[in-house]
Amino acid sequence: MIFQVNPILEFFSILKYWDRLLSGFLLTMWMYVLALMMGFCIGLILSVLRQYGGIILSRISTLYIEIIRGTPLLAQLFFIFFLPNALNITPEIPIFETSFRILDKDISLKLMDYPIFIGIITLGLNSAAYQAEYFRGAIISVGTGQLEAAQSLGMSRMSGIKNIVLPQALRRVIPAWSNEAAYLPKYTVLVYFIGGVEEIFYQADIIAHRTFFILTTYVVIAIIFLVTITIISRGLDILHKRTMIPGL
Amino acid sequence: MSEPVLRVVDVWKSYEDLEVLKGISFELAEKEVKVIFGPSGSGKSTLLRCINMLNPPDKGEVYLRGQSFMEPGINLNAMRARIGMVFQHFNLFTHLKALDNVSIGLRRVKGLSKVTAREKAFEALNSVKMAEWADHYPAQLSGGQQQRVGIARALVMEPDVILFDEPTSALDPELIGEVLQVMLNIAKSGTTMIVVTHELGFARAVASEMIFIGEGVILETGTPQHFFTSPKSERAKTFLNQLDILYGGHDKLLKISDKEEDK
Repeated sequence: MIFQVNPILEFFSILKYWDRLLSGFLLTMWMYVLALMMGFCIGLILSVLRQYGGIILSRISTLYIEIIRGTPLLAQLFFIFFLPNALNITPEIPIFETSFRILDKDISLKLMDYPIFIGIITLGLNSAAYQAEYFRGAIISVGTGQLEAAQSLGMSRMSGIKNIVLPQALRRVIPAWSNEAAYLPKYTVLVYFIGGVEEIFYQADIIAHRTFFILTTYVVIAIIFLVTITIISRGLDILHKRTMIPGL
Repeated sequence: MSEPVLRVVDVWKSYEDLEVLKGISFELAEKEVKVIFGPSGSGKSTLLRCINMLNPPDKGEVYLRGQSFMEPGINLNAMRARIGMVFQHFNLFTHLKALDNVSIGLRRVKGLSKVTAREKAFEALNSVKMAEWADHYPAQLSGGQQQRVGIARALVMEPDVILFDEPTSALDPELIGEVLQVMLNIAKSGTTMIVVTHELGFARAVASEMIFIGEGVILETGTPQHFFTSPKSERAKTFLNQLDILYGGHDKLLKISDKEEDK
């Protein structure tokens, strides 16, 4: 027998811990959104450098992408987490905590401290490598003709990339890029392993131990992710349709 | 004689082992229309791309109104703004409406305000009879319409010379006429042009000189009259014959007045 009592009852007793689920979820989403945005910015720069940066910059960018994609995210997390210590640096990350009250529950939410900071930075650096390759594919698909046309008008290469290539590449990339947007929330849970980050798996662990409904707890977590990622995918689908170039 | 608008001196270009241009020289005078033709692979497009440095030549000089393109430290972007280019595959900016395709150069390169740039762009579109399509995106236009927008985009920058790289060869036959007509009109209004094309009717109507290129060198030059009546080289003869057989010319598509017909 998988369920100890009755799945419906178990489900409701887990939902009693909705405050924990909520704060864990919010922290996970907070790290996810920041890492995704950081990955977007760095990834865009990496892809442009790899595509247009000349021999040296494009090799550096390629090397970065290959190292990140070729090593486990968990190893990267531990590496960056312990790096300052190994270098005898004590990073001072300001702690940011907030609390609010919903219904009868006081919910406190720590949004920034050293492990959270490390988590966001690592996820962002990791995501950048993957996003860079999505962007590069889209840049290549725009082709060289339009950039040449821009240059023939007297626009600099940089201006052509910025005004002509990237606006199109960023539209084209959305379907492929939605992969990264859908993967990253699930990668974010790896931050759990560096400890002390009260994200959704940390909260799940506590709920599971308090209720002993381990399986149901993780089913609830899975459902939360499923719903979240479905919403993200739908959102990006809509964005893709809205930004479509007429006639194409 | 006044200074030539464009002077090409002994231009060489190779791609890896393949020598594409082997010492091409010519001069282009104000308001002149030069037609370059020759078999495929002879280096016609490469020559145009060498002139505006999209593919800089390995050797040789290109002067625009006396100013060398090959001078170290020269602002290539500023120089390119003075040479328009019309592409075989149009290369319109697909995310911009026809009007913005034409106005973006004015805004980004010449620094005009949005309103002024749009006014000028609209005039340019009007001159290629595309004003009513100003709000359409390239993908919503036919090939001929796209190419006319491409011409307006080059024209609006008021360049010293416009380079046409086989502007009609990617078009369906029934769309060629409208593009040639527009090119004819701007040629007559005194635009300095170099046109790589096999449209002999166009060449006959407006070319002041035709250059026949083969295997990277100029094989023969002369007036259209010269080429149509008595080309010297065998190569040019056979080539012109083939063109005539294959395409038959699109002369009838063009509204050429009798006077010009006699030219």
